Amino acid sequence: MRRALPWVGFLALFLAVGGVADASWRRARLALPEIGRRELEPTVGQGVLLGVLGGFRTVVADFTWIRGYVLWERKNDRAGTELLMRAACALDPRSRFFWENAGLSVANDMGHWEIRRRGGYAKVPKEIQDHVLKGYARRGLDLLDEGIASTGGNAALLATAALVAELQLKDLSLSADYYRRAAEARGAPWFAARFAAANLWKDGRRREAYAWYRAHWVKVLRLSEDGAPDDLKELRDMEHELRLPLVARLPLQPWEVAQPGIVPPRTGGVAAPAPAGGQSRK
Amino acid sequence: MKAACSRALWIARITFLEAIRQRFFAFLFVLGAALVLASGAVRVFDFGHSELKFIADFGFGGLFLFGSILGVVMTAQLFFTEIDNRTALTLLAKPLSRGEFLVGKFLGAWAVLGVFVAVLALLLAAMLGWRAAELAQLAAERRLSPPELDLAGLGLYALLQWLRLGVVVAMVLTVAAAARTFLFAVVVGALAVLAGQLQWLSQELLLKPAEAGLAHAGVWVITHLLPNLQQFNLGDALVLAPHQVPDGTLPWVFVSGAAYVVVFLCLATFLFRRREI
Amino acid sequence: MTVGPAIEVRHLTKDFRVGLKGVKLRAVDDLSLSIPRGQVFGLLGPNGCGKSTTLKVVLGLVPATAGEVAILGLPSATAAARARTGFLPEAPYFHKFLSGRELVRYCAHLSGVAPDRVEAAVAEAVALVDMTEAAGRLVGTYSKGMLQRIGLAQAIVHDPELVILDEPTAGVDPVGAAAIGRIIETMRARGKTVVLCSHLLGQVEQVCDRVAIMDKGRLVLEGAVDEVLERRDRHVLTVDALTPAALAAAETALVAHGARLGSVTHPRRSLEELFRELVTGSRDA
Repeated sequence: MRRALPWVGFLALFLAVGGVADASWRRARLALPEIGRRELEPTVGQGVLLGVLGGFRTVVADFTWIRGYVLWERKNDRAGTELLMRAACALDPRSRFFWENAGLSVANDMGHWEIRRRGGYAKVPKEIQDHVLKGYARRGLDLLDEGIASTGGNAALLATAALVAELQLKDLSLSADYYRRAAEARGAPWFAARFAAANLWKDGRRREAYAWYRAHWVKVLRLSEDGAPDDLKELRDMEHELRLPLVARLPLQPWEVAQPGIVPPRTGGVAAPAPAGGQSRK
Repeated sequence: MKAACSRALWIARITFLEAIRQRFFAFLFVLGAALVLASGAVRVFDFGHSELKFIADFGFGGLFLFGSILGVVMTAQLFFTEIDNRTALTLLAKPLSRGEFLVGKFLGAWAVLGVFVAVLALLLAAMLGWRAAELAQLAAERRLSPPELDLAGLGLYALLQWLRLGVVVAMVLTVAAAARTFLFAVVVGALAVLAGQLQWLSQELLLKPAEAGLAHAGVWVITHLLPNLQQFNLGDALVLAPHQVPDGTLPWVFVSGAAYVVVFLCLATFLFRRREI
Repeated sequence: MTVGPAIEVRHLTKDFRVGLKGVKLRAVDDLSLSIPRGQVFGLLGPNGCGKSTTLKVVLGLVPATAGEVAILGLPSATAAARARTGFLPEAPYFHKFLSGRELVRYCAHLSGVAPDRVEAAVAEAVALVDMTEAAGRLVGTYSKGMLQRIGLAQAIVHDPELVILDEPTAGVDPVGAAAIGRIIETMRARGKTVVLCSHLLGQVEQVCDRVAIMDKGRLVLEGAVDEVLERRDRHVLTVDALTPAALAAAETALVAHGARLGSVTHPRRSLEELFRELVTGSRDA
């Protein structure tokens, strides 16, 4: 019993220190995006790589990507291409480049490879083609969603996802949602808000499009260096199409009156020419 | 107490002098420095990562990999040289306790690793600072925001890595205190470091909701016995995205690391006391 | 006030576990020994008899399986006891990148010499072992004899009351060995207790006051050198110019008194004596 006593003491000591380490890890893991995010819980294999490679994983990720790219060029090993691209993403989950290109490869290219594998466009029925293409588009979009989560909502990735949703899935509502998130993210592309509103509009949700676009212009776009006049012009067109009463429209901006060609809302005493060709927004 | 500290510091001094004379140290030192400097040259392989991140990852990788190898092999060598050459016989016949001997060995090895980390971190800071200045100028010309870089964060990261290597040295000394041969100490020490790097997997497992059972209890014990070395790898966040590090994280990590050093040294002293020289 | 022995060993037993089955190997078997203060004590025995193990237990480097050991009245495994002890191991090895002076200084600090006294203590120790000129050189450049002498210096730099020397003259030439012998005598003159383990029986005989002989872990003999070596049952007469007639007369006289002439031979010098007569200097300097 006496001989075991020191070992019991050390066990207790380690368990106590382990408690401190546990509290430390709960905080530290939040600063490690590839570990801290629940959406991106790595598999044991990826976890081992993350643990073992340390800082070198970025370099290993790059060479993994090169290998995946070589297979992509050959176009004859879909599974291998996707596996290597996903591995590169897992090794360096904060790299926008890997997620974006992997997502686009899956969404845009792999559907066609599959059709060719099944016999080509002449042989495969149209319904099957659509089903395959949409399936891979959805798969690519899922990959982009993973990338968005691991990069903390990267605006460029959101814009890419919006493009895939619009062009491949023909889902304007989903596309608009992605563009909206992109517009609200840090480093938003200049077109994100405009495309969000446009897609919502095309989807038939006109009032919702205007309301969101207007709120975004007031809160964000208006504060840009030039005051986002192009976006304001789009908003004016929307107001015109929606036939909004004066009080419901955005107030005239000081520089709007001075700028010729801009159609101000009908106010007392200020008339303006109608839009050229009588065209309206569709 | 003062006399004990003095004796331990003398052991540390001689250990330090012995360590920096080793060719192995010089070799890994040069390799690590070359890797950091080479990061500027292989930027062509950078696939759109933030260029600074690519350079930083090279540096972090060098610090991590070569620092770990140095920590394991050098510590075992410094210990077994004393045992095999029987200088330990002469030293321990003096009024020097085994604990003071081990603490001195730890401090000497840790000091060498401090030099290693400091020089590599300075090199990396120079590379990053130079490139960040160039990129900032380019960004200003294109009216874009400059890249984020926090050199003070790099200093903190260097301290974290030094502390991590301190935990490694303490672990290897514990293994060496019980091991019979240098090779055994290196192999088991390396495995212990590897286990420490992967310990976070079991800790993540505990964070998931699960039924309490024998397996869960086993995982809980493992996470508390093994140090989590992954928690020190906050380089990306500290250097390139400082806002990502939650408040209060660093003090906890430092305390956790220091606590493991102390506990491992206590265990090493206990094991070494029973060893016949 | 009674002053106790320098080293007191009571019923010391040390077993080692050997091999996978953990077979016990008894290196020291119920050894009891008392080494008085102020003398040079020789501990002798063939290889593997347990001498070195006994010394290691005395110095606290190895725990005893049974028995008690005290140094200068203190339990041997304590730092306080080791503070008053100096030790030179067999075939000493020191850090090659240190100079002799740096090595002795390092050991002085570890042995607890006061910081303001260190330089004086180092100079004194180095001078005592006649290494002042070579003290600035790296230990890696030293010959065997120099290594032993600098090893002696590190053992005595803190002016210990007890000095333990394990094979201090192993591999050293006779001139160097004689020098070390003189150093031991100097230490005895200063009132220190010296425990000497050596295979050079000639030197032990000359230098030691008392000896103990061990064999297979047990104490076989212990006592003062003169007492244990004297053969009281025989006498030696040294005669100059002995003629055959004188020899015959002497033999007759002895027989008449009940004695018996055992043999008549010419006395011999030892090779060491002859060597020292012929060779005057060491190549060490």
